[in-house]
Amino acid sequence: MPQISEAAVRDAVREILAQLAASEAAPAAAPVAAWVPGGDVTATLRDGAPAKAGTSPTEVVLALAPAFGDKLKQKTITGIPHAAVLREILAGIEEEGCSARVIRVWHTSDVAFVGLAGAKLAGSGVAIGLQSRGTSVIHQRDLQPLQNLELFPQAPVIDLETYRAIGRNAARYAKGASPDPVKQKNDQMARPKYQAIAAVFHIRETSFVDRSKKPVDVEVRFA
Amino acid sequence: MKIAGVDIGNSTTEVALAEVSGPGVPPRFLASSRVPTTGIKGTVANVPGVRRALEAAVEQAGLKISAIDLILLNEATPVIGDIAMETITETLITESSMIGHNPNSPGGLGIGVGETTPIGDLEVVAPGRPVIAVVPRAFNFEKAAGAIVAALERGVDVQGAIVQGDDGVLIANRLPKVLPIVDEVQLIEQVPIGMMAAVEVADHGQSIQQLSNPYGIATLFKLTSQETAMIIPIAKALIGLRSAVVVRTPAGDVQTRRIPAGSLRLIGEGQTVSVAMDGGADAIMDGLARAHPLKDVTGEPGTNVGGMVERVRQTMSNVTGKPAGQIAIRDVLAVDCLVPQPVAGGLAHEYSMENAVGLAAMVNTDRLLMEKLAEALHVELGVKCELGGVEANMAILGTLTTPGIDIPLAILDLGAGSTDAAILTKGQPVRSMHLAGAGDMVTMLIQRELDLPGYPDSDVAENIKRWPLAKVESLFHIRHEDNSVKFFKDPLDPRLFGRVALITREGLVPIPTHHTLDRIRTVRREAKRRVFVRNAIRALTAVAPAGNIRALQFVAVVGGSGLDFEVARMLTDILAPYGIVIGTANIRGELGPINAVATGLVLSRAQPIPGANGNG
Repeated sequence: MPQISEAAVRDAVREILAQLAASEAAPAAAPVAAWVPGGDVTATLRDGAPAKAGTSPTEVVLALAPAFGDKLKQKTITGIPHAAVLREILAGIEEEGCSARVIRVWHTSDVAFVGLAGAKLAGSGVAIGLQSRGTSVIHQRDLQPLQNLELFPQAPVIDLETYRAIGRNAARYAKGASPDPVKQKNDQMARPKYQAIAAVFHIRETSFVDRSKKPVDVEVRFA
Repeated sequence: MKIAGVDIGNSTTEVALAEVSGPGVPPRFLASSRVPTTGIKGTVANVPGVRRALEAAVEQAGLKISAIDLILLNEATPVIGDIAMETITETLITESSMIGHNPNSPGGLGIGVGETTPIGDLEVVAPGRPVIAVVPRAFNFEKAAGAIVAALERGVDVQGAIVQGDDGVLIANRLPKVLPIVDEVQLIEQVPIGMMAAVEVADHGQSIQQLSNPYGIATLFKLTSQETAMIIPIAKALIGLRSAVVVRTPAGDVQTRRIPAGSLRLIGEGQTVSVAMDGGADAIMDGLARAHPLKDVTGEPGTNVGGMVERVRQTMSNVTGKPAGQIAIRDVLAVDCLVPQPVAGGLAHEYSMENAVGLAAMVNTDRLLMEKLAEALHVELGVKCELGGVEANMAILGTLTTPGIDIPLAILDLGAGSTDAAILTKGQPVRSMHLAGAGDMVTMLIQRELDLPGYPDSDVAENIKRWPLAKVESLFHIRHEDNSVKFFKDPLDPRLFGRVALITREGLVPIPTHHTLDRIRTVRREAKRRVFVRNAIRALTAVAPAGNIRALQFVAVVGGSGLDFEVARMLTDILAPYGIVIGTANIRGELGPINAVATGLVLSRAQPIPGANGNG
């Protein structure tokens, strides 16, 4: 894992400032297609119409936080391309025979509330909440916001295999099965190493929150 | 005077505290208690448990231990049980000739036959050739699907695929035609390449048809009648699966072998019978009946069963201080079961259900030990301590406090380590019988058959034995074992979501297992039937007049396992046709099946045993 140096934090802060400056200079037009590079996987995300509640009992929602996938660096805290994360989660859901729908939540950047908002729109009542830094949660619509079916709080230790398993487990919950919880690595050093950068990530994400906007459907295209 | 009756059982120590004014006057019961037994029943290690039980009882009565005038210990029918399990069959796959596991999500549907070919080599396969693609994890689902599509477009007859990752459905969804795809084959590099192979995937909720049928395999591989006879074990091993691969290799085979598990020598008064463990439980129990009455049991040295029998003997020897040679095993109970075991030579970490034999053994201890224990208690507590009476007699005395019960009375004490029966008829001494195998054995069967973590790491098997099941279908409703639904106003704990849970006194507790409710229920009930019901019949037959179980009229179930929510009903099902009234005792009209012996000990000081002229 990379050492988080002061320079890296400065780098991130500078990026936010540049972002802010940019958004002031050119008031954001409607979100348009943006290329997401990374690894061998690339994807285009296009925000669409306001998301409606699903009706299919096989539908699992993947709810993205405001900045995921098409803004900022499009990578998680450990540099995994967002496109690859999306592909693995969606593959996990598909492998179990469920259908996946991606939405974006605008009114909050808190992973629990993002997940719950998704769960309320999911036909199956099960959703995955996902933040830009990679923190994730499997949520269910009847739960309280800060409850969850499974929580993956340490973004630095989540790899692509785990994202696949998160998608798979969410689909299994949707099918009424009782999956073994996804095995999570634990790294005592993750907190001291990443705390500062995680905070920066969260601030970046939160700067995109728009309390007046409803969740929207997102079209994901892998190239 | 204040008398405390103390009953030390294999798993719990029970106390009945009463004020006894004199012979003929009914005692006034002040308190009862029940705590876990410390150490092996009937040894000095029990003292801390007895102390705790007494403290709990005197606290209820608002007294101090020093206020007790006399402690009465049961003259324990000193039986100690031990249990073990031995697998007696194993399955072996040679030359990686088949893959028969149940991945969660195989892809596609149908059956395909072709030559096994690495996915990377598909581009050089001549058009028209039937192949089965072998896909290692390095090829992700998109690359793999792309390669198969390209090959199909070139006219290569791709018939199916064997995949290492959990990608079956993903690949199948990206193909222009429906092909069978078996996934989650961990050791994919061991799949023989360039051999004819058949891949079959059945639809949801169904099992494969062709590969589990010897003639089906013969048709696919064009086998002769001799060759067909050879592949029967493969077909048999694949019955009931949703997906499978069979590879035709020169000497590939699947064998079910019997593991030489040693033999038991059952030494009876009259004759000695030697039974091989791999004959299964019925052979052992038949041998036991022939050797009856049993004097001792030995296991073949150098085998697992020999080790188990010697371990029981050694434990007893350590406890009693007697040389191991003088410890005699007085009863065994053997039970057949099926336990999941990894298949040797399997490529996908296959498990197969193998035959195993569970064995409970019982050893008699002696009165001397109980006297030592009474002495130790006297020193520890400073209260006079005596051996009160034979356990079976005391249990009957205690049970007679149940409303609606009368002589002739048989009791059935389903404990943790042993199953005991005793009978009291007018003018006859009490007859009693002690058999190996009870609650602990049920727990072991549940743990092994469901492949759960064992004691002491986890008590999930013990809890499954004790509590009924329910499936949490949403956060607002659960479905019970009998399919009835219960709704909740407030949402349940999210940890319960979708789980099979136990309905315990503390509320719903999720079971960490992927087994379905039906499977857990079947295993639980079967384990109880094979241990409790079988032993109940054995024990009652042994004590019934002339061995005729019909001569019994009242049978009362006592002991900790009497608290079980279904055993009494299972026994009623079996015994009711004989016209026997069988039910769970209700000691003193309020305590249920527990505290019978402790209550009996106190009563024995106040009144003689009705109808009995002597002790058996």
